[in-house]
Amino acid sequence: MRQINLIFLYLAIILVTSCASTSKQVPTPTNTMELDVFSSSVDQLLKNKDFLKSEILKINASKPSIQRILNESDGFWVKGNLKRANSELERALRISKNESSVFLRLSHIRLEQGLEVESGSFAARGLLISNVSSWERLLLNVYIKD
Amino acid sequence: MNFRISIKYIFSILTIVFVIFILAVVSVIDRRVTSKLDGVLWTVPAKIYSRSLEIAEGGKVNINNFLKELEMLSYEESSNPQNPGQFHYKENNIKLFLKGYKKQESGLYEISFEGNKVKSLKRQDGIRIDLISLEPMPIGGMYPSHMEDRLLLDWTQVPDRLVKILLAVEDQGFFDHYGISLKSISRAFFTNIKAANIEQGGSTITQQLAKSFFFSSEQTLKRKAVEAIAALLIEFRYSKQEILLAYINDVHLGQSGKRSIHGFGLGAQHFFGSSLKNLETDQLALLVGMLKGPSFYNPRRNPMNALNRRNIVLGVLRRDGLIKEEVYMDLKIKPVKTIKPSFRSETKYPAFHDLVRFELRNNFEEEELRSEGLSVYTNIDPIFQASLENNIVLTKEKLVKKYGKKLEELEGAAIVVDIQNGEIKAVVGSTNPSQFGFNRSLNAIRPIGSLVKPFVYLSALEKYQDFNLTTTLDDSRLSIPISNNSSWEPNNFDKKYHGNVPLHKALWQSYNIASARLGIGLGFDSVGKTFKSLGIKKKIPQYPSLYIGSFEMSPFEVIQAYQTIASDGFYSPLRSIRDITDIEGKSALSYPYKIEQRFRPEPIYLIKFAMQQTFIRGTARGYKQSTIDKWNVGGKTGTSDDQRDSWFVGYAGDYLVLVWFGFDDNRPTPLTGRTGALELWKNFINDINPNSSTKTILPRINYVWTDIGDGKLSGPKCKNSILTPFIIGTEPKNIPSVRRRCGSMLEDESSSVIKKLKQVFEKKKSETN
Repeated sequence: MRQINLIFLYLAIILVTSCASTSKQVPTPTNTMELDVFSSSVDQLLKNKDFLKSEILKINASKPSIQRILNESDGFWVKGNLKRANSELERALRISKNESSVFLRLSHIRLEQGLEVESGSFAARGLLISNVSSWERLLLNVYIKD
Repeated sequence: MNFRISIKYIFSILTIVFVIFILAVVSVIDRRVTSKLDGVLWTVPAKIYSRSLEIAEGGKVNINNFLKELEMLSYEESSNPQNPGQFHYKENNIKLFLKGYKKQESGLYEISFEGNKVKSLKRQDGIRIDLISLEPMPIGGMYPSHMEDRLLLDWTQVPDRLVKILLAVEDQGFFDHYGISLKSISRAFFTNIKAANIEQGGSTITQQLAKSFFFSSEQTLKRKAVEAIAALLIEFRYSKQEILLAYINDVHLGQSGKRSIHGFGLGAQHFFGSSLKNLETDQLALLVGMLKGPSFYNPRRNPMNALNRRNIVLGVLRRDGLIKEEVYMDLKIKPVKTIKPSFRSETKYPAFHDLVRFELRNNFEEEELRSEGLSVYTNIDPIFQASLENNIVLTKEKLVKKYGKKLEELEGAAIVVDIQNGEIKAVVGSTNPSQFGFNRSLNAIRPIGSLVKPFVYLSALEKYQDFNLTTTLDDSRLSIPISNNSSWEPNNFDKKYHGNVPLHKALWQSYNIASARLGIGLGFDSVGKTFKSLGIKKKIPQYPSLYIGSFEMSPFEVIQAYQTIASDGFYSPLRSIRDITDIEGKSALSYPYKIEQRFRPEPIYLIKFAMQQTFIRGTARGYKQSTIDKWNVGGKTGTSDDQRDSWFVGYAGDYLVLVWFGFDDNRPTPLTGRTGALELWKNFINDINPNSSTKTILPRINYVWTDIGDGKLSGPKCKNSILTPFIIGTEPKNIPSVRRRCGSMLEDESSSVIKKLKQVFEKKKSETN
């Protein structure tokens, strides 16, 4: 029994060392490059406020009543009336406290208003909501300042 | 010749003097007329409104509170609602004829409820909609010294029916005369003789308007002449439409205390709780009829006089063909109904008004508030406010009954805040909440007692590498020298020492010595930083009794600090105002929702766990576990030295409520935080019965069984064990040998499965809620 165990151990060592040597022998920077290019593209996109805004405008609320208010708010936002857009979003939050779609919009609007700290705080508040999708989570993280 | 010349000369001089005199008089009258018509008449005091209640499909609503709100907005129960302001409630279904407000159209809507949720919202035509808004409730105004109040109307807001009734009764030849009409005087004379009653006045509408500009009520020839000149000047300077609109906005319709009710717009609100365009013909007839004698025909004070006068006006309308015979017969027998006096749009909720004025003065001059016709939309929830006012009176009565007459002068304050956004929902500043006076919610600066402890403990839990909920604190005798011959020795409320206790227990049991030691260990800088982050702006005194609550704060300052805790570490400045619009309805200033993350969510999660234990096994115990879970409650009692102050602050559902009781002269009370302030807190929360709230779930928090007594690891089957949250990586590692038998150290696989099942169940439950 002990011998069998030693044989398995020996085989395992050979397998691990061979894998390690193979990876050294085959330089595959292509995949890494693609990943780097992809990451930097995503990074660039997320730094682009217009892109972020267009993505946020696509995110819908979970309830029809909130969506109706979001539509009104988005209408004001697109026309540059941040004050009215903001007051509609506050209205939405009074009806439903946990709508990540609302916190995303508030984060971006505050950024447009030059209120970076508050933008980050709205995003951090949005991240505490339990059913936030991965994409929304990623977007919310963009606004959080270290 | 010379004599002739001199007479002619004197006559000319006299004529010139006379003409100059007349011109001067006319000029004075003209100035008065124009100043009134161009200025004072259009000065409108700022009006203050409650929040507008919005009902959304799928949203949560407390049906009882909703029905109370309808009553406060002067909606009437009717088996078949057909007019604005009527509703019918039957078996989870409300048919509601909305009065209309801003974008919300007036009309019949049907709301179906399922439990505490809005199942569906439908229009009259059966089409489903997702949102309706009720109109906000007027709660007062900023009145000028002459106390004239009005709701200024433009032509689009004046119903055609009102104009017809007004002209039929007051001035049939309005569009034909030049201010004075001999025809009107003679017609009125003959009409009144024929009717053996005074149906018409002889003065034209222009004369009546002119008359209202001169405050003396004397009936002299001189005065009549002045009024006649003023009427002619008005007709010369202004169009008929402008004159009529000024009249509609200026007429005096009664008094409400010191406040003078002017114009049909405010008259409609004051007597019928509705906008002018929603009034029925009989209601318009009553308002027009009241012009003859607003006090004598006041429908509240003299309903019979009002009824008779209304019917006389209806008779005029029938005679002139403005209503048909059968309509007249129907309207004639209708009773005169007005809204309840308590729901009139007068200044009420004194403590809340104080807050509103306090915020307004940062942005507006007093004169602007009294004359520019601003509309101030606040965050006040009239249902919460009414409940808080009612319950502070009832709670005091019960306390007086229990402790005797020594509590008759007991004073109090309470504030209700929306946790998430800092909106102030209700405030009282006295145990006599309807009286204006010293507002203790803002101005009573008192030692906060144990309410300070969560601030100290939060400072510790922020250093999560050094402190967690089971870190043991030393609650044995402590003596700190403060001068050569004396020392400071804090005591516990039960006058006992408790040895080593877990941090969470020291908080929910409110042990003074453990807390003092913790604070001293952390230091003033560390605790002071936490105070600042919580939103406390005043300077923190540097003496050790600070850590057990000798620090003085106002109720408003305390609840601001607790808002930061209750909202998971996000500070939001408390706001009583939402938005201010100008006289044309355009936004003049808004008070947006502001937040700033001041704490990481994990330490806050831990402190909220300890504050929930206050309800489960601490100083606020008594609620069922299901209620504690539903409302996700947490709180802290506070009692200052010699029981001079009784405090409680706690959150339930979406609301944070702070209560203080004490005497103005600072003498001791027999009350603790539990026996005094907590009573009002419970009475209020039970009354409003808030909807359930979702508990924040943090991925970096792990629950572990620990022992309540020593804070060390325990197991689910061990006595005195409690599932305690820890920031991952800070859990205690070793289980004492005495408890090895009764439980595993960390949560075993089965308990984590149960936990997951529980989470799924809670999620489903919250979805169905």
